[in-house]
Amino acid sequence: MRNNRKSYVITGVSLVVCLLLGYLLVSNIGSPVGRPLTTLSPRGNKSQAIQDLIIPVFAIAGIVFLLVEIGLVFVVTRFRRRSDDVDGKDEPVQLHGNTKLELGWTIAPALLLAVLAVFNVNTILQMDDATDPLEVTVIGQQWWWEYRYDLDNDGAPDIITATEAAIPVGRDVRFKIQSNDVIHSFWIPALSGKMDAVPGRTHQVILQANEVGMFEGQCTEYCGLSHGLMRMQVKALSPADYQIWLTAMTTAPAQPDPKNELAVQGQTLFVSQCSYCHQVNGVTPTSKSPYPYSTVPDPDYGKTVAITMASGNAPNLTHMMMRQHFVGGLLPLYESGGSVAQAIPEGTPDTNNIKRWLRNPQEVKPMDPNNNQGMPNYNLSEAQIEQLTAYLLTLK
Amino acid sequence: MAIIEDQRPLELTTGHEPAATESPSPLGVFARPKANTGWRSWVNTVDHKKIGIMYGVASFFFLLVGGFEALLIRLQLSVPGNQLLSADLYNQVFTMHGVTMVFMVIMPMASAFANYLIPLQIGARDVSFPRMNALSLWIWLAGAIFFNSSWLLGGGANGGWFNYAPNAGVTFSPGTGIDFYAIGLLIMGIGSTVSAVNLTVTVLNMRAPGMTLMKMPVFTWMNFVVQVLLVFALPVITVALLLLTLDRMFGAAFFDASKGGDPFLWEHLFWIFGHPEVYIMVLPAFGMVSEIIPVFSRKPIFGYPFMVGSGIAIGFMGWGVWAHHMFASGMGQLSVLAFSLSTLFIAVPTGVKILNWMATMYGGRLKFSVPMLFSVGLVGMFTIGGLSGVTHAFAPADTQQTDTYYIVAHFHYVLFGGALLGMMGGLYFWWPKMFGHFLGERTGKWHFWLMLVGFNLTFGPMHILGLQGMMRRTYTYTSNQGFSMWNMVSTTGAFIIALSLLVFMGNVVFSYRKHRKNPVNPGADPWDARSLEWMIPSPAPEYNFAEIPVVEEFDEFWHRKYGHDENGRLVRIAKTEDVVESSDPVTVHLPSPSYWPLVLALGMPLVGYGLIFNLWWAVPGVILIVAGIYGWVMEPATDPDASHGHDDHHGDPDEPDAAEIEAGESAESELVSASAGSAGVTADGGDSQ
Repeated sequence: MRNNRKSYVITGVSLVVCLLLGYLLVSNIGSPVGRPLTTLSPRGNKSQAIQDLIIPVFAIAGIVFLLVEIGLVFVVTRFRRRSDDVDGKDEPVQLHGNTKLELGWTIAPALLLAVLAVFNVNTILQMDDATDPLEVTVIGQQWWWEYRYDLDNDGAPDIITATEAAIPVGRDVRFKIQSNDVIHSFWIPALSGKMDAVPGRTHQVILQANEVGMFEGQCTEYCGLSHGLMRMQVKALSPADYQIWLTAMTTAPAQPDPKNELAVQGQTLFVSQCSYCHQVNGVTPTSKSPYPYSTVPDPDYGKTVAITMASGNAPNLTHMMMRQHFVGGLLPLYESGGSVAQAIPEGTPDTNNIKRWLRNPQEVKPMDPNNNQGMPNYNLSEAQIEQLTAYLLTLK
Repeated sequence: MAIIEDQRPLELTTGHEPAATESPSPLGVFARPKANTGWRSWVNTVDHKKIGIMYGVASFFFLLVGGFEALLIRLQLSVPGNQLLSADLYNQVFTMHGVTMVFMVIMPMASAFANYLIPLQIGARDVSFPRMNALSLWIWLAGAIFFNSSWLLGGGANGGWFNYAPNAGVTFSPGTGIDFYAIGLLIMGIGSTVSAVNLTVTVLNMRAPGMTLMKMPVFTWMNFVVQVLLVFALPVITVALLLLTLDRMFGAAFFDASKGGDPFLWEHLFWIFGHPEVYIMVLPAFGMVSEIIPVFSRKPIFGYPFMVGSGIAIGFMGWGVWAHHMFASGMGQLSVLAFSLSTLFIAVPTGVKILNWMATMYGGRLKFSVPMLFSVGLVGMFTIGGLSGVTHAFAPADTQQTDTYYIVAHFHYVLFGGALLGMMGGLYFWWPKMFGHFLGERTGKWHFWLMLVGFNLTFGPMHILGLQGMMRRTYTYTSNQGFSMWNMVSTTGAFIIALSLLVFMGNVVFSYRKHRKNPVNPGADPWDARSLEWMIPSPAPEYNFAEIPVVEEFDEFWHRKYGHDENGRLVRIAKTEDVVESSDPVTVHLPSPSYWPLVLALGMPLVGYGLIFNLWWAVPGVILIVAGIYGWVMEPATDPDASHGHDDHHGDPDEPDAAEIEAGESAESELVSASAGSAGVTADGGDSQ
């Protein structure tokens, strides 16, 4: 009797449009190329487990989305008031409800969710599984991350580095997450979900990299001024490369060549100016008392003042040039850019980046050194910057 | 001490203007206010409708403030490495945007509708405690202005709207912004608590004869659930804010791990409040849509008991899911398991609502006036927010999604696509009832489509950005992170939303002008609607109902107009003109206006400034508060003379009168009326004590 073709056409067209858009989205969204932080390109066992859980959920949500939205389009076009409708003629049936139907659409989603809940529980329980994990302590601070490796399990760290952690491929790693000031969140999307670093607590993230690579991370709990620029990297190396990295990191770097006058002057300058906060093992005096608020009774961090390698709340730079990134993971240290993981970085150091940082740190990353948050600008002369850069380049 | 009172009964009846008399003032400060028109009538009003409108106007103003902040955010993020805002300013802007939109836009806009409509929908003359109603408005407004004044007094809050400790402590946030946050929210919380108690009591006690709970309109039901949620949720945030204030101002260490406190305490307290808060914000809009869809479908709401039941279920279950905001906080596997499961199942009652709305439309005769467009928009958009919500009920997946733009997308689909779209529909729907003229239909359609498109362009791409790892609350990003394109799209969308709001404001102005030039009253029932508020003239008269209706059915007004034939089809049984109220009321006496709520409220921000800057400033604040309470107590709720010489309905059991109920509170009223009548000062002048 009534011509409903228009309604079917509109419904059909919107279905096609939805499917097309969905296809475009799905086919583009997963690629990690040019998207270093993507959550949809797992490279570790835990991130893979998360992916395996969520992809079917996304699919089911997509189907429900289509059913509801297309149903909505159908209902609003099919039952639209027409121009020939007259009040009082063929008025709608006054249906007050249908208990069976409503019970149905209460129970059916509940059952569906109950089934999905089983997989959910399974994955949650799986997240903490680890066999013979390598333990790395991670300490979040405004606005960089410190990593501590206690290789001989004597309670004192043997390697302290910042920003960039190295792990072996194929071995479980337990990151013990702590904070030295406010709440941060440690997150390497390609390897695992995120975990907050909360003062006074030690949390854990367990992950295992499936392949060699430099995996980007980002602090994801708002932590003040430079939260947006608080990045980090995890460098997954083959077990052999990882051994090379360990050896290099536990060997003190050579003193600057006396013929390299700039570097020698830079070292003197470093000890007099930078060592209040930065540590270079064997060069700078043992650490100063930390900033007032770093006395948080973090189980490990509370001991830091007694550890010669710990700094006054700035990265330990003993092996700075062993890293491929600095400034809280923001800038590459080498001109090659630092996206390829190397046990011992090769290539030309990016001295422009280093000098830019020394010239005016706040220009690179907003900080508030007057409130003990970040690096002050010492207004170094260009000559001093040259000297310091020359010295820093020797720290490998 | 003689309390001097104005004699004049407040006759809010039929155009009869009582002669202005010299009125004595209580405590020698204020004469009993008597202005019926002009700005004074707004300042001293206790009329729930005026209060509702003021909530609406103020919340719309803050929508513009928060919207401006949103545009700043989007401008800053439109291109990588943008220098428009510094990191510090950006952190303030996003915090102020969030807090403003939650506490100064969505909540009070819902309050506007709740205040205006609940008494009308349940057939009451006013709320249970009219002066307390005014008090909650003024306290909220004082708190909101206080909070935003931080922009001029050293900078806004910069801790994010959930303001986690210890970043919110003085060590890490030494500025005053977070003090304004804590004290501003405390002040607004007092207002909301008073309002919640008031409306809860109103719904329970003031319903027209025959209106059982299960005959209440769905809007009233959803708001009732919200008020009960508020009564229980606000104390939690109040405690948290108090602890924060003590930490910041008096060196307590509730959240300081180095002194044995625990930052988790704040997280849990905040989210025990914060999750019910989500439902507090969205349920009123659900209620509005549940009113609008049946009217424009010419069908009753499908499955009324399920709609009400799912609302109550959401309210209850909302208390058991708060820690899903903390899946990445490290609270432990057992907690994660429990909250992940409870969160999964809260999707069920919400899904029931979506399907019931669609079933209401199914088989109807849908008329797409602007309110209906917004309502259908809500159904479509909230579905997206609900589904993305289900995807992060899966805790392991949430550890990838939380604190990314995926979450930002999700909650904007819930709060903008849910709450705000619903309330926009509500504005178009109830505008004729509130102001006696329609908003422009054509312009309204422009408004709707621009808003819908702008909204999806703004927040749709954020799903993608989030899954690609863009972190929330970042003031910038770099071009090598792959976020550039969708951020630009999102910024474009934000400006389309801004344009749609301009269209809306133009609509308000031009429809008003058109109405001024050529007044056409839309009549009591412009939409052929269903609930009691459409029985009374538009705009709603000050006394609401000339005669309190006796309710027999759900959708009472509709059933007075329509029946159905043997096939269940709609049949008209009475003309609308014959069933709407037309008679002049017999003399009703209404709660009398008062200045005291405003006086009391004005003291609060002064105490706030005192706590932040210099305690001496708190002294006048405390004086105002104490004077406000004292004057209030001494002032009878109803002008005592109202009981003399009028044919009013004292003792009539069929007519629950707000004024009478509150009058019972004030034991002074007899005393006062006895001593009243001496000479006095003019309206609001007079000496101070």
